[in-house]
Amino acid sequence: MPKVKSKIEVNEKLDEELKAIFSGDVPWVTIVWDDPVNLMTYVTYVLMELFGYSKERAHELMMKVHTEGKAVVSTGSREEMEHDVARLHEYGLWATLQRGDQAL
Amino acid sequence: MSEIQHGFFRHGDNSYLANFTEAEREVLLNLVEQIIELLAERVDHHNEDPLAAMVGITVHDTPPEDEVLLRLLPNAYADQVDASEFRRYTESTLRQKKQAHAMAMRMHIKAAVDGIVELDHDSANAWLGAMNDVRLALGVRLKVEENSQQDLELLAPDDPMRGVYAVYSWLGWLQESLIDALMDESQ
Repeated sequence: MPKVKSKIEVNEKLDEELKAIFSGDVPWVTIVWDDPVNLMTYVTYVLMELFGYSKERAHELMMKVHTEGKAVVSTGSREEMEHDVARLHEYGLWATLQRGDQAL
Repeated sequence: MSEIQHGFFRHGDNSYLANFTEAEREVLLNLVEQIIELLAERVDHHNEDPLAAMVGITVHDTPPEDEVLLRLLPNAYADQVDASEFRRYTESTLRQKKQAHAMAMRMHIKAAVDGIVELDHDSANAWLGAMNDVRLALGVRLKVEENSQQDLELLAPDDPMRGVYAVYSWLGWLQESLIDALMDESQ
């Protein structure tokens, strides 16, 4: 038998989580990780080609990968992020996906 | 006449040219064929379920043991169960796409009997992918993660990795020249 509680803790986070459970749309994220081989210009170019980002946006994301070790490059459903990761792997970028509400 | 190195340059609307020496063509051909071979080594074992084979599901659900193959076919999830599941459904497609990039590059090099390679936007992207896979493979062998660029620049003349590093650097330069030519178009 499950244990029951007589008290609940309500906060903003709970509200969000309950919403996500019922709508089923917890956002997922695609992360690109820093890699000592891939050229900075190449990472920028691939982000422009695959995601249609402007040169400025792609450069900004590349710099985040370079200086912070990783960056979220796209957000969406799990299926969409799996598609993005597969395309990034095709071009040799080191990418993973995970639920957006998990710590990077 | 002095030989000025250009790498790739833009030539018209959707055309990118490079002029390779015989030695350069041989090096490129050799490298790209090794990538094709390496990817082919990880064959699918289609014997278990013909339907799965038909839709491209492989029985590979564990990451490659070979370090180079692992870098070319990395895990998509930190979680091992999710990573295995994803790999089972997608790895053979990823291998085919990488093979296709490398084979396109091989075809262009072989066809360039006069040394001149001409690419359009799509074939340029295939070249970038293939050159990058070669650099990733060489990078694993050169241990670029642990060794600084300075360490690699200062390899002893008799160190067998010295030549590998020279090729790795040259390939980076060539890749960058093609990216510069492609980015030039977007301006």
